[in-house]
Amino acid sequence: MKAIPTLKISISGVRGVVGDSLTPELVTRFAQAFGTYVGAGGIVIGRDPRTSGEMVQQAVVAGLVSSGCRVSDLGMVPTPTVQLLVRQLGAQGGIAITASHNPPEWNALKFVGGDGLFLSAARGRELLDIYHQGDYTRARGADQHAPVRVLDAVERHVRAVVAGLLPLASGRKLRVAVDPGGGAAVVAAPRLVEALGAEVLAIHTTADGRPPRPAEPLPQNLGALCEAVRSHAADIGFAQDMDGDRLAIVDEMGQPIGEELSLVLAADEVLAGTPGPVVTNLATTEAVEAMAARHGCPVFRTRVGEANVAEAMRAKRAVIGGEGNGGVIHPGVNFARDSLVGMALVLRRLARSGTAVSALAAEYRAFRVVKLQRHCPSEHVAMVLRRARERWAGRPLDLQDGVKVRLEDGWFILRPSNTEPVVRVIAESSSDERAHAIADEVLRDVAGWIAAAAG
Amino acid sequence: MEALKIGITGVRGVVGETLTPELVVRFAEAFGVYTGGGRVLVCRDPRPSGPMLQAAVTAGLLAVGCEVVDLGICPTPTLQLSVRPLGAKGGVSLTGGHNPPEWNALKFVRDDGLYLNAAQGEELLDVYHQGGFARARWDTLWTRVATHDAIPHHLERLRACFDVAAIRARRPRVAVDYGNGSCARLLPAWLKELGCEVLAINDDVELPFSRLPEPSVAAAAQARAIVLAAGADLGLVTDADGERLSLVDDTARALSEELTLPLAAEAALVRRKGPVVTNVSTSGLVDRVAARHGASVVRTPVGQAYISEAILEHAAAVGGEGNGGVAVPELQPSHDSAATVGLLLEHLARSGSTLSKLASALPALAVHKLALAVPPRLLFSALQEFREAVADVAEASVDLRDGVKLSWPDGWVHVRASNTQSLVRVIAEAEDPARAEALALWARERLVRVGAR
Repeated sequence: MKAIPTLKISISGVRGVVGDSLTPELVTRFAQAFGTYVGAGGIVIGRDPRTSGEMVQQAVVAGLVSSGCRVSDLGMVPTPTVQLLVRQLGAQGGIAITASHNPPEWNALKFVGGDGLFLSAARGRELLDIYHQGDYTRARGADQHAPVRVLDAVERHVRAVVAGLLPLASGRKLRVAVDPGGGAAVVAAPRLVEALGAEVLAIHTTADGRPPRPAEPLPQNLGALCEAVRSHAADIGFAQDMDGDRLAIVDEMGQPIGEELSLVLAADEVLAGTPGPVVTNLATTEAVEAMAARHGCPVFRTRVGEANVAEAMRAKRAVIGGEGNGGVIHPGVNFARDSLVGMALVLRRLARSGTAVSALAAEYRAFRVVKLQRHCPSEHVAMVLRRARERWAGRPLDLQDGVKVRLEDGWFILRPSNTEPVVRVIAESSSDERAHAIADEVLRDVAGWIAAAAG
Repeated sequence: MEALKIGITGVRGVVGETLTPELVVRFAEAFGVYTGGGRVLVCRDPRPSGPMLQAAVTAGLLAVGCEVVDLGICPTPTLQLSVRPLGAKGGVSLTGGHNPPEWNALKFVRDDGLYLNAAQGEELLDVYHQGGFARARWDTLWTRVATHDAIPHHLERLRACFDVAAIRARRPRVAVDYGNGSCARLLPAWLKELGCEVLAINDDVELPFSRLPEPSVAAAAQARAIVLAAGADLGLVTDADGERLSLVDDTARALSEELTLPLAAEAALVRRKGPVVTNVSTSGLVDRVAARHGASVVRTPVGQAYISEAILEHAAAVGGEGNGGVAVPELQPSHDSAATVGLLLEHLARSGSTLSKLASALPALAVHKLALAVPPRLLFSALQEFREAVADVAEASVDLRDGVKLSWPDGWVHVRASNTQSLVRVIAEAEDPARAEALALWARERLVRVGAR
């Protein structure tokens, strides 16, 4: 078996392991390529609290300044704060220094265009060409600009969310537990809850790059938050990932409701006030359709990835959108997966309805999603997808992204990871057992195909 | 692509052309590896390319596991003086020194505050060329850059070195043209402590350089005007990073930067007898001053690292070079214009003399300087051919420690490759100006024969 690569340069940016492949030289070249690509102008940068953040940021600053950009440094902030400030400051683009849910030895650069969206596949390819060509714009010293520190980025973000999403209904003082997981939202999450007029209890607020729990806000990683909700009799618990774009919810009984429902509950609140199209990806729960149907609103599905969802939202003039991993996008506030937006919407819903989170979640009890993955060497990926198309040729297929198959009692999607040598299967049915059985069967087939191909 | 010099004095180039962030990152990584990890101080002069270089240097140092302490904009000697008290393994000063503003450079300082010497510079270059630097893992990286103001320590050390009371009693009137260089962060406080009445111009490090940073007679124009208008006792013309200094006397005459060392040597030898260290290319004026005090002169190759090590080796009373750089060993064996100012003001105060009197007491020696462009690929072979061509010049004594220096009883000529540019420098000196010029032209003619322009 080949060594697991520690560097991934792709149209969605560059990610790698610090101390190994992600060298400052490579980072400073990539930053120069980006500065060359967007042209001399304002660039907003921010980072998550990884231990390598300072090193990577210095290399990014050197590259951007060298290419003549004016750098606005937000410091340690959620990725959606970078995206929001790109638009607020009228910048040409942004760079978020974060490897989101990857382990702490990883870091990455994510590139944001002047519209606050991540670069699309096409634009990512153009950037990559410039990186490889190596002919970067180099400003003379007299045309370079020292980076400027922006100290109120989180406050601006919180203000934008509060202003965009109105105050909570009065009469019910909500108690809210937040678990930013020692990530980029350690300041922003409690601050937002306060600004919305709720009572906040925060855990895991030390952001020193040594995460107190695994970065992904999956149910199995939220034990401390569940405990905090129970012991403080909170109305709800919120958990974020390392860079503050994804949101997971724990109900008032200390039970995670599953990150798929973050988008559903948030969208429900938006559609109640402003009906309109909803956009999500192919791999997200169909509870979205059930929710939207109640408001008489259409749902559009895209390939997986924030850039794909955001672009379709713009094309369809969607009022809300996002992904099943807990990423909520409200175009009126921030054209980005933004956990602060998700929190504000869900809290507004709670305050307005007077019901408990568990009751809201119970409406979608019939949508059970299971996510599994297995190792798949890259040379077998195409074969696996071909065999899957043949295997389920008699079923309705959607081939926009991997292979999505509609079954009589649910659906599943099989797709390769963009970042690791694995294939993932996401299955949904009306019970956990059935969803599991579907996903297990798919992975058994995949294992058989790989074994046959390997001889 | 001639605007890059990677050599034992560091790496120097034009930002926007050859001095790229990736090159600087790699060099910083090499230096971090060379120091063995640990604390490294970083400072810069006010050039507009400084922030870019500093970010690149910081990234490289952090990546190989160093702790970076950012001293901000300050003179190089301020950094050098802070290395030991801060327990640092070394320092990097980002400064183009006397070079024009589009240039910049990384100068490497070792754990005793001196520049890397030639052998160490070669070792650093080997590390750089080998590449494959051992980088720190995520759990051993330093996660933030500390900032530190090193100016107070420099002032404290300066106070301890000079007779502040004597200078204060005299209340000298001093005109200064900082040229918006780093000295504007140090000298104002030092001159204030010395009780000077100060008339300063171009003292804002946020503004572009007001003139070329090389202190010279031409650069002294504004300082002269102020000395004249205000009736100042002396004028100071500083470089970008606090090493070199040229002077304007009380009659508003701009003194050549070659006079800074002889004047400082006079002051130093009155304080304490001891050898004087300078390079082979520096004016013989310093020999005359040393002779007056019965002191010896030690000559080294050109470059501050040689001067500093010779100062320590010979327990020298003073050292320096003809470019206006002077080291006062009681403070540190490195060029430090704040120390030079202290030394001169103390001497003026104690002797009751004036700078014009001191200057006129120096013998008149004529210096003739030329620079010839030579393509980089021919630089050292041209010098080698020149050396062979003049090997049998009658009656001259030959010094080959740095280029070729030929000395006759009535004058000398020195031919050497620039450390910083693709040039051959010719400098000739004699009591008779015609003789100095003749010597320089004689050397030039022979250099042109072997390919110089």
